[in-house]
Amino acid sequence: MATYKIKVNGITKTVEAEAEMPLLWALRDLMGLTGTKYGCGIGSCGSCTVMLNGESVRSCQTAISDVGDKDVLTIEGLGARELHPLQKAWVEHDVPQCGFCQAGQIMAAAAFLKETPNPTDAQIDEAMNAILCRCGTYPRIREAIKAAAKEMK
Amino acid sequence: MKTEVSRRSFLQLVGGVGASFMLGGFATLACADESASAQDPFAPNVFLKIDPDGVCTVSITRSDMGQGVRTTLAMLVAEELDADWSMVKVTQAPGDRATYGGMGTGGSSSVRGTNQQLRRVGASARAMLVAAAAKQWGVEPSACRTEAGKVLGPSGQSLGYGALTTAAKAIPIPTDVKLKERSEYKIIGKPQNRLDNLDVVTGKAVYGADVRREGMLYAVCLRPSVFGSKSETIDDAKARAVPGVVDVFAISSGVAVVASNTWAALKGREALEVKWTEGPKHSTASLREALKAAAKDHNAMPGGAKRVTANYELPYLAHATMETLNAVADVRDDRVEVWTGSQSPDSAQNNVARATGLTADKVEIHNLLLGGGFGRKFSNEWIGEAVEISKRMKKPVQLLWSRECDIQHDLYRPMSEHVLSATLDAEGKPLGFSHQYLQAPGRGSGDYGTNTYLPYEVPSAGLRSAGVPSSVPTGAWRSVEHSQIIVANECFIDELAHAAGKDPFEFRKSILKNERLLKVLISAAEKGQWGKTLPKGSGQGIACFEGYGSRIAHVVEVTVKDDTIKVDRMVAVVDAGTTINPRGVEAQIQGGFMDGIATALYAEINIDGGAVEESNWSDYGWTRMSDTPKMEIFIEDSGGAFGGMGEVGYPSVPAAIANAVFAATGKQVRKFPIRLSELV
Repeated sequence: MATYKIKVNGITKTVEAEAEMPLLWALRDLMGLTGTKYGCGIGSCGSCTVMLNGESVRSCQTAISDVGDKDVLTIEGLGARELHPLQKAWVEHDVPQCGFCQAGQIMAAAAFLKETPNPTDAQIDEAMNAILCRCGTYPRIREAIKAAAKEMK
Repeated sequence: MKTEVSRRSFLQLVGGVGASFMLGGFATLACADESASAQDPFAPNVFLKIDPDGVCTVSITRSDMGQGVRTTLAMLVAEELDADWSMVKVTQAPGDRATYGGMGTGGSSSVRGTNQQLRRVGASARAMLVAAAAKQWGVEPSACRTEAGKVLGPSGQSLGYGALTTAAKAIPIPTDVKLKERSEYKIIGKPQNRLDNLDVVTGKAVYGADVRREGMLYAVCLRPSVFGSKSETIDDAKARAVPGVVDVFAISSGVAVVASNTWAALKGREALEVKWTEGPKHSTASLREALKAAAKDHNAMPGGAKRVTANYELPYLAHATMETLNAVADVRDDRVEVWTGSQSPDSAQNNVARATGLTADKVEIHNLLLGGGFGRKFSNEWIGEAVEISKRMKKPVQLLWSRECDIQHDLYRPMSEHVLSATLDAEGKPLGFSHQYLQAPGRGSGDYGTNTYLPYEVPSAGLRSAGVPSSVPTGAWRSVEHSQIIVANECFIDELAHAAGKDPFEFRKSILKNERLLKVLISAAEKGQWGKTLPKGSGQGIACFEGYGSRIAHVVEVTVKDDTIKVDRMVAVVDAGTTINPRGVEAQIQGGFMDGIATALYAEINIDGGAVEESNWSDYGWTRMSDTPKMEIFIEDSGGAFGGMGEVGYPSVPAAIANAVFAATGKQVRKFPIRLSELV
């Protein structure tokens, strides 16, 4: 057990954890940030996607000891001051069905749009294939990403 | 005391009586509030509350697992209430049958089962608000009208509902109210976004898994991989040595590991050494053989110029809801509280009461958002496990199923074998049709009589069902038996069309007796440009389905290239009677498309040595973004009764895909998921 100072959504939090504890469980069980979801635990579904220094990572595959001084951004922090254009587009395009994967979808899309501000359908497919939706919201996710990309120009 | 009486009277009244009668039962509740102050809300019954600030809160008794029922049911109340939609909120009702009546969510029954009652709730509250305003203005209620949360008087008077809450409480509950004509609808039929979208996209929405209670412990469970086996010896020394692990003990379904966080519980589970008793060593291969052996006799059928037969094989399917099963239980000596996402929270209340020896009123079931359901979250066995663990720990405990538990201990859509045969006359007209439906495990040697689930004009020898014994636990999966029967039927109809030398669309059209289904079929063929020229290796498929009070037809286009099948385009035409929320309908049809693609191309559960081989999303294949075809969805309102939407979008999709694969390759699909090497 060791003490970790983790910067999450701009706030430094101190947690006691085993070095190998995935960031996912540190967020959910130790910090009370339950917006990041558990879907598989093996890095397959992407429901647990968060940003680390602006890059999307699977929090279930990121040990807390590897976070170091990097900035962690979760769904709770993404639109804390003002909704991210993706969050607005998600609401407008009525994307969520059960909604459980959507935090992962939005975080992955946010990291993707930073790198690819003018995405093609093929680029969206390639980037978003990493995040599984069991309800079949893919067509609306695609539309919402395009709308947000337009908005962000 | 008065509340107790009214609860009982409600219970007596919910047994299939009209809602206007039920409102009589609510009168006790309203009268009990006579001492209320001017600031009190107006709550004429348990389903609706209007606050002095004008916010109308609808209590939702059905579970939202992605079908958007919180929004749809609120629309029904808001329509008759003439509410300002922007002032409508929802609250999820706790699992409590005595107060709310039956609360099971499945079989696309939410709208069909509650719309009469909810519309009357809205209409009677509206009548009371109008009467209250009329009294204040000294005019006849009939001289007033309502619009977007306001009562408007004959001389330009206007009062918001919020300003009338106290006055409305003094108005007797009307015994009869007139519901709106369809032409008067202002909210029903208009596309509305989900009410909880903002919560979902900001991470604020609370699912069962997100519940955190003071002093709560976290538990996971190790289950025997072989169905039917039990723990014999448990060596928990290493598990207990994992930092954070608090306790390890056997529960009815396996071995529970309780810890201070989920990760420690999972690590503890990994370190467990458990010897399990032997269980039945079933395999999907042996079960398939048994099904084929049981299916050897055809139903008796008239002779004809041509006899066509085909066997279709469908696999076990897991529900694999995005949110795995979970519950927080807090078991005290004199009461129990549970937080979960259940499709039957009212049954959960009774189950927990039985398990703890308490009466149902001492059991509080908080039902939260469900991260997917599809039929999996009816059985509530995970709640029983959480209760078992909390009772022993004397603390609130969250039990979470790992994805491995979820995939390997589902209540699967049964694997099935379908033996279809038909005879055709010289002109290709069907003379007889028989369908044997065999499942593992089956429903015994049941007989569906002459119901073949066929909407077609075909003399039928009936649908005969049978089963073979299997240790694999099974349950309802989106669209239940239609997920098997319709897939086989709609593939076979294409095979009959080919045997008759007819086009599959024209063949269906010539034998379809159901007018409303025929209408959507013809429309889908038009919208999908049925018969258009496609490049070599591509093909179109068509299929249709009527069920759950709705009708749908699908036209799909696929391309078969090298070793892969790609669904390029999907067209659906749906008639859900009177559509309540077109945006919600579209979402359900999109979901049905994606489920159809997943189960036509990827998903299957295999059993070997009595255990499930798949364990996670890595080997239980599902659709991803790049599987998403171009989708075109057309809603053709027939104006009839409100139809169900959760299930209807699925069954004809796998069949339409299989039929398109035939068009593209000239080979028949007889087995799902479709593998090009297995076409015949």
